[in-house]
Amino acid sequence: MSCLIVQSDKTLLLEVGHERAGECRKAIAPFAELERAPEHVHTYRVTPLALWNARAAGHDAEQVIDALISYSRYPVPHALLVDVAETMARYGRLRLEKDPVHGLVLTGTDRAVLEEVLRSKKVQPLLGERLSADRVVVHPSERGTVKQLLLKLGWPAEDLAGYVDGEHHPITLNEDGWRLRGYQREAAEAFWHGGSGVVVLPCGAGKTIVGAAAMAHARATTLILVTNTVSAHQWKQELIRRTSLTEDEIGEYTGTRKEIRPVTIATYQVMTTRRKGVYRHLELFDARDWGLIVYDEVHLLPAPIFRMTAGLQARRRVGLTATLVREDGREGDVFSLIGPKRYDAPWKEMENQGWIAPADCVEVRVTLGDGERLAYAMADPEERYRFCATTPSKIRVAEALVRRHPDDQVLVIGQYIDQLDELGEHLNAPVIKGETRIREREQLFQAFRDGEVRVLVVSKVANFSIDLPEAAVAIQVSGTFGSRQEEAQRLGRVLRPKADGGGARFYSVVSRDTVDQEFAAHRQRFLAEQGYAYQIIDADDVLAGD
Amino acid sequence: MSTEFTEWLRSRDDEQLRALVTVRPELITPVPAHVEGLAGRASSPSAVARVLDRLDRFTLAVVEALVVLPSPTGYRALRDRMARALPEGVAAPALRVALTETVERLRTLALVYGPQTAPTPAPGVREVLETPAGLGPPAVEVFRHHPAERLSELIRDIGGADAAGAARPPKETLAGLLGDPATLTRLLGEISPQARSALDELAWGPPSGRVPNARREVRAAAAQSPIEELLARALLGATGEETVVLPREVGLFLRGGRIHRDLSPLPPALTGVARDRGLADRTAAGQAFAFTRAVEELCERWSVEPPGVLRGGGLAVRDLKRASGLLDLPEWVTGLVVEVAYAAGLLAASGGVDGDWLPTSAYDVWRVRSTEDRWGTLAAAWLATDRVPGVIGERDERDRLLNALHPDLRRPAAAEVRAATLGVLAAAGPGVAPTAESVGERLAWEQPRRRGARRDRLMAFTLREAEQIGVTGLGVISGHGRALLRGGRAEAMTRLAPLLPEPLDHVLLQADLTAVAPGPLTGDLRRWLALAADVESTGGATVYRFCERSIRRALDAGQGADEMLAMLERHSTTPVPQPLGYLVTDVARRHGRMRVGTASSYIRCDDSSLLDEVMADRRAIPLRLRRLAPTVIASGTPRSALVDALRAMGYAPAAESLEGDVLIARLDARRADGSTSPRPTATFNGPEADVVAAAVRAVRAGDAAHRSRRAPVGAPAGQVPRSPATATINALREAIRQGSQVWIGYLDSQGNATSRILEPARLEGGYLTAYDETRAAVHRFALHRITGITDVTDIN
Repeated sequence: MSCLIVQSDKTLLLEVGHERAGECRKAIAPFAELERAPEHVHTYRVTPLALWNARAAGHDAEQVIDALISYSRYPVPHALLVDVAETMARYGRLRLEKDPVHGLVLTGTDRAVLEEVLRSKKVQPLLGERLSADRVVVHPSERGTVKQLLLKLGWPAEDLAGYVDGEHHPITLNEDGWRLRGYQREAAEAFWHGGSGVVVLPCGAGKTIVGAAAMAHARATTLILVTNTVSAHQWKQELIRRTSLTEDEIGEYTGTRKEIRPVTIATYQVMTTRRKGVYRHLELFDARDWGLIVYDEVHLLPAPIFRMTAGLQARRRVGLTATLVREDGREGDVFSLIGPKRYDAPWKEMENQGWIAPADCVEVRVTLGDGERLAYAMADPEERYRFCATTPSKIRVAEALVRRHPDDQVLVIGQYIDQLDELGEHLNAPVIKGETRIREREQLFQAFRDGEVRVLVVSKVANFSIDLPEAAVAIQVSGTFGSRQEEAQRLGRVLRPKADGGGARFYSVVSRDTVDQEFAAHRQRFLAEQGYAYQIIDADDVLAGD
Repeated sequence: MSTEFTEWLRSRDDEQLRALVTVRPELITPVPAHVEGLAGRASSPSAVARVLDRLDRFTLAVVEALVVLPSPTGYRALRDRMARALPEGVAAPALRVALTETVERLRTLALVYGPQTAPTPAPGVREVLETPAGLGPPAVEVFRHHPAERLSELIRDIGGADAAGAARPPKETLAGLLGDPATLTRLLGEISPQARSALDELAWGPPSGRVPNARREVRAAAAQSPIEELLARALLGATGEETVVLPREVGLFLRGGRIHRDLSPLPPALTGVARDRGLADRTAAGQAFAFTRAVEELCERWSVEPPGVLRGGGLAVRDLKRASGLLDLPEWVTGLVVEVAYAAGLLAASGGVDGDWLPTSAYDVWRVRSTEDRWGTLAAAWLATDRVPGVIGERDERDRLLNALHPDLRRPAAAEVRAATLGVLAAAGPGVAPTAESVGERLAWEQPRRRGARRDRLMAFTLREAEQIGVTGLGVISGHGRALLRGGRAEAMTRLAPLLPEPLDHVLLQADLTAVAPGPLTGDLRRWLALAADVESTGGATVYRFCERSIRRALDAGQGADEMLAMLERHSTTPVPQPLGYLVTDVARRHGRMRVGTASSYIRCDDSSLLDEVMADRRAIPLRLRRLAPTVIASGTPRSALVDALRAMGYAPAAESLEGDVLIARLDARRADGSTSPRPTATFNGPEADVVAAAVRAVRAGDAAHRSRRAPVGAPAGQVPRSPATATINALREAIRQGSQVWIGYLDSQGNATSRILEPARLEGGYLTAYDETRAAVHRFALHRITGITDVTDIN
């Protein structure tokens, strides 16, 4: 009996408890995306993108088929094998290459494919002169768009046109009192050898450091794109601490400051600001001869940035993310514009190695009072979630939960400002929300880090990229309609390794029999699929435990 | 009718006659009255064409040679002719053996008669083989309708003596001239190169061509064009206003005396990739399992949501697409699943004009059997059906869409081509997966008269369908497929069984509310899970997902929360995850808290605040609710709509009867009446041995009577005792098997009661074919008119 079952819908089921599960995972990981990782059986999915990622990483169809056949418990459907071979053969039939005379050319090893592509109405205007039966000129500015379109046509092009080196700038890692972890080194090297691409690491695994290591490889001027201002500060501090860069060499390009320096950190928000329909800050991309562009949280990359990136295909790009899943389904654009996946490591495995803290997830169900239920039934549909998510009962439960963990640093996370203010009052804790000034925020975070503040109430501004190392407990009272991504980010808040090596706890307080519970079901599924222990308890038990 | 042929047939012993009707069963359908009848039928064009269609290329070539050569042909002359067409490598002894065997086989088939040393084509063969080996008709035939003056002109032009005074008729003189190599050599020397190349075109067939005004009368000296040169020298003859044909003598000369260009007594070798046989068998078994499961899944779904029958018969494209989505299979495979289920009698149209496609009662029997047994039924039905699932979605010659299950999907040759194709696969070396081209070549050799685009398509369909059904794996015929092809269904099942995954009685439960069954499940568990959870992914394993809706469905079907938890615990190898247990109890807690009545349509609930809530809900306004009491609301909405609306509002009401009992809502599986399943087509393993024996006996008896004018036996006096229909049929079967006589009571077509002494020969389609001693002839008797039966020995 082997450990893998190949399903007809191209999912692979891996029995984790099996003795060969480890080697099998290694064999299938290059060409299958891990979709779910609950306790006993992990689900991988073989998608065209995953197969092309494998091709880009140098695997061929023979290896894939061999892995499937040798690990599969039951005969592998013939049709699936044929499909794998055919899909993989599609990658690399077309290549983008550099030509000394014509600049950029599209070459086809299969004339029929090239003809098919050339006949596409969308591709035609992007191409220039036909040099021979197998070669056609591509306008250098359309390199990204061509790749995007070819992927949509099902013939992803292999980009061999290379990169410009950019303006040289010395950057080295400054391993003083810390070491680059093994997987961080592997991730940075995998990226560097691949040229461009995406590194997938769970929250808390030190993606910033992978970014720094990539910069040390490139030793060139770098543009870093991050989600928000706080995150930009975070990056700056990390870079000063981990590399040879000094404060003067790093510029911030945010809403308040517009500095352009050898290493510049810009926010997505600034880049996508428009005035009179024009992107005002586009010139930043051309402000220097950048040798490397780092995209933080690639899964959140806004659509305009994709368009801008399409024009930057000659520069090295590295994307950092916790998940390739995008709520908008634009995984294909990430593949063609940023690059194929170069490295990933499963969340759970990092946890086992002690790089991130183990977490227990607990859902606490609060019962609405009779009056509340009546009001809930009468509420307008669009108001319903807000109503049940902000029930006063949750505040009592949150208080009880905070009392349960008297010695831990606790984060209380919510969506609605009124509720957060109320919580702040009841818990006697400071509140960080959108209107809180940056300086004040940072002071509070520092105080929290130093242990001066034990409980912090935060709105969704804290969702991304802030480093709160000692938060051992998170209590979520309301969220953005059960978004999977938000859940991953919030959980990431408590996953940083703790000084005492203890586990983290993640509470969600949910109103029973309401839409809140429905959204919670989505989150529960997501967390359980990520392999976290999940428990549901009644609020009465929490309150009675007091 | 050739009396020689009849006499020859009569001289064959019983065993030889039995062999004949075994391979040509159409000769005894119905049983002929005497040997003369048998001979007549055996030489009828349709019967001859039918048997010629089944001959392989070499055997057919022997028949063609016999037809071309003057008969009776000496065996030696035949061998010399055949040897010329063989490749260099074939040694004379090998040919001798092959030829002897082939001629003997042709005698068995009654295509050739006479002594072994001088075989003669049976009557009818010559007529059917109009252009044997692509040769035109003999000169005598070609020039039959030419006027005598024209013939003399031709004879003169090709250098023959003036035929005016000759004793022989002119066309025979002409034929004689054309049969003379010296004349032909000379004539070919006279004509232009263009004319020669035109002749060469026709030499290897087809032997006829089209030219305008073919009957023009041209003299050799006045010939203007290459065609006229040929017409003037009788190298071509006109057989119609616009057709010219190459006389056989000329053709043979151009071929250098050979009848066939190249021949081989052995079939072409099958080429292809060699695979590991074990792997191929396992792959086929995996596919067999998947296919069986697809049929079951389809029937289960159609039990509760049957698609309609189109007015013209068949299944709507939309419904096929939906089934394709349900099964997660390409449309052509879905079509195959539907058709095979239909052929196996598991699906049928039911209920007249607005009928539905529904599983039959046979399905209920089928689904509880073991997987290998179920597969056996499906695969055998596929082998035998004359329907072609491959053409679903195409358009027929009148541009009408061919739907799945449509009556027009029948192709008479389908089953035969299927069997032949699989036969070819079975003939390949062990583990060899022959390429489609090589299978095609082999089929062309085995049945050259059937070649054509249509057969190639049927063959291609067979190859891809066999892979889907699991008869082949990786293109190699599997052990169980091979057994099935030999007709050994039991053997196929025993071979398949160990390759199929063992049914399991446990699943893996996970905190994300899924249950993974790492293999097929035992029937009870599978049905229970199908009720309490939704299927998310299928294949070797099955992934089920529990959700509020599925748990509620189980509760609606009468399951209790404790019962469900116990079931989960019993069948899980690991502890039940806490969230799953919580979900079950949580849904059960809410389930049925609210009750809805039928007759007056009311809502009652012990929790008055819940009713307050409902009354206060703005979405409840269209339901026309009125509060009757703190715990009861009445509604003007029909119960079902009310339940749906309440559920949509997020409640979990349960329906109740007037007496206050909870109604159990379960979808009842429906069944077809089962009368319209397709009739299985005849098998291709030939008729049963005892049927053959009885038929030969009947022919012999009839023949004896026919020749000696055997006097009818007087019917015995007295009444035949009445016997029930089943007893009658059993007694007749027994008599056929033993070859004994029976005494029956029979109502003739006028309704008169008669009694007969019969020697029963064949029982088929509600009719008995038997030699009637009392009338001294073979007759057919309607079974329902037989009033009683008894042994002849009982007469006295």
